[in-house]
Amino acid sequence: MDQTLFIVGINHRSAAVGLRERLAFADDEIAAALGRLRDSSPAVLEAALISTCNRVEVVGVASDTARAADETLTFLSADRKVAQAAFADVVYSSAGRDAARHLFRVGASLDSMVVGEPQILGQLKTAYAQAAEAGTVGPILHRAFHKAFSVAKHVRQDTLIGHGSVSISSVAVALAGQIFDTLKDKTVMLMGAGKMAELTARQLNALGIESLLITSRTFDHAVALARELGGTAVPYENYKPYLKMVDVLIGSLASAKPVLGPDEFESVIRERRYRPMFLIDMGVPRNFDERLNTLQNVYLYDIDDLGALVKRSIGDREREAEKAEQIVELEVESFLKWLAGLDLTPTIKDIRYSVERLRDVELGRHRGWLAQLEPAVRERVELLTHGLTNKLLHRILSGLKHHDDKTPDAAFAAEVARRLLGAELDAQVHDLDDADDDDDTGTD
Amino acid sequence: MPMDTLWLIPALACYALSAALFVFDRLSGRTQATGYAVAILGAGVVFHAFDLTARGLQAGNIPVANFAQALSFLAWLTALAGLLMIVRLKLAVIGAFVAPAVTLALGAASLMMSSGHVVLPATLRSVWLPIHVILAILGYAMFVLAASVSIAYLAYESRLKSKRAIGPANEGAPSLEKLDRINYRLLGWGFVMLSLAIVSGAIWADARWGHFWSWEPIESWSLAIWVLYAGLLESRLTIGWRGRRAAALTLVVFSLLVGSIVGVNLIFPGKHGGSFG
Repeated sequence: MDQTLFIVGINHRSAAVGLRERLAFADDEIAAALGRLRDSSPAVLEAALISTCNRVEVVGVASDTARAADETLTFLSADRKVAQAAFADVVYSSAGRDAARHLFRVGASLDSMVVGEPQILGQLKTAYAQAAEAGTVGPILHRAFHKAFSVAKHVRQDTLIGHGSVSISSVAVALAGQIFDTLKDKTVMLMGAGKMAELTARQLNALGIESLLITSRTFDHAVALARELGGTAVPYENYKPYLKMVDVLIGSLASAKPVLGPDEFESVIRERRYRPMFLIDMGVPRNFDERLNTLQNVYLYDIDDLGALVKRSIGDREREAEKAEQIVELEVESFLKWLAGLDLTPTIKDIRYSVERLRDVELGRHRGWLAQLEPAVRERVELLTHGLTNKLLHRILSGLKHHDDKTPDAAFAAEVARRLLGAELDAQVHDLDDADDDDDTGTD
Repeated sequence: MPMDTLWLIPALACYALSAALFVFDRLSGRTQATGYAVAILGAGVVFHAFDLTARGLQAGNIPVANFAQALSFLAWLTALAGLLMIVRLKLAVIGAFVAPAVTLALGAASLMMSSGHVVLPATLRSVWLPIHVILAILGYAMFVLAASVSIAYLAYESRLKSKRAIGPANEGAPSLEKLDRINYRLLGWGFVMLSLAIVSGAIWADARWGHFWSWEPIESWSLAIWVLYAGLLESRLTIGWRGRRAAALTLVVFSLLVGSIVGVNLIFPGKHGGSFG
């Protein structure tokens, strides 16, 4: 039976994190686990294990993919000590075309929680390296993974899937980059203790800023965070005089009314001589009066503004994802063609054997009168038969290997050829050990 | 056909094509044509340089014998400086203003050019001519580029203010701070060039006519423009007017400058012999 790809696994869509972590493998466990999988699952011919926060998947090669999937599930259950019933409902499995498409989509970050995120490709490469180390990679898996890598590269180059900022904090950082040429000489002030605000301040801080000021109603909290991030804590009662130094102000104070309004802010920007100022309002209710956005060189974004931009970026990525799906589809097709070409190998061997056998049998039948001929003439007769069979073989084999849109499926054509030549019957009596003369059984 | 127009038409064609590509990229929000636009602008600058050289050899001086030639020279300097900015400062966005402006200037200049032999008026033959004219035209080129940077600034600024500033069109866009700084530098250098042009012109006038200043229309206007640019720089240094206000004022003063050059040269040519500066 034809060997093909299969995939068994769970991901962020099918299973909750609680289950995913129970089935997950640590990086250093994977090679050994693949060894155990191979030993316990005779139907699994090649295998790799992808284990990330968002997915646990076995990608393998089998002839009997249904049995291989069952064996893989049994293995996962036994190896992770999780009853099969616990994950039977959320496991997905696919084979052949669907499995190839799944693998390529994973690599191209189309199956990721955040579509277009770049980490998955590295994780896939690691999974491949671990499987290679475990010795469970054969020619089909090798080809499938390398195809997945090239699909991912192709998608990154030809679509904008990795573009745009898709989280609130990264949008805020991207906006800072559109206002300021560099953050190296900028002062960031964080007001309040909101998680998102803190994350944004951390990201800006990590990019390298001149100074970080932190103010909070609970001064201890400000001091602790300032110590951790190398910033300066400012008492909440006394933060206003610092405003004129601040280039990026992040607000996340719990306050029923805006803490900063346009009237007092006018003097702040005059004092800082109209140097641009980026206000990020992550407070709900809002910390900064929205009229601040109308002041000269002041740019105010509240949480909804940022959220709308995130949504737009995600929308852009999804549109790009459609283009990426088309690329994946083309590559799946090309991979399957390759796989079908690979399947011709035994057929070609059988046909070759069958035709050679015809010649031998015919020569045997005419051995009597051939023996009476002069050796030189007999040699030429044998050469003639050899030439004839070779020509015939060449036509059949090149016809099989040459497939385009107009010809039927190569595997089907091979099967027909095999039947027409009675190669199947011959193959049964054929001792496979001496059939290593497959020089021209090309694979592509 | 005089031999010098051999280069003028390809130069003009390159500028126009480059302008179309730059504008197309701006409108489509992508940057796929920008590489070609830059290369074609470069080709235009080379063809244009051949044209200017041919005319210069013919006149035995820099080719600024009349308004048309001076305008062509300004277009060339602007295109060259703009090209350098686009490449060195990664400011492809200004191409959408610079290339059309250069196309327009050279187009107008070529329409006004007489095909015959252009001779420099005897009154203008002097070593001061190249000094005075090149300084003035360099100053104007800086002001054209400052205007282009200001337009880009206002466009990006309004996107940021109206909260549309994310998306493929904005990736790789220059930051406001960078545009503002470049605008300031261009204004500063333009102002220095214009000042030196006025001073060199005064010295030349003193040598030729015996007085520094004769209140010709072009002199009065240049002085007015000089005062406006001085004010623009001053407001930045003292009050800190930068960003949107600086960009908007740059455009106001620039349009006055364009108006004065066109008006004065076409309507009251005066002693400057129909050339500017």
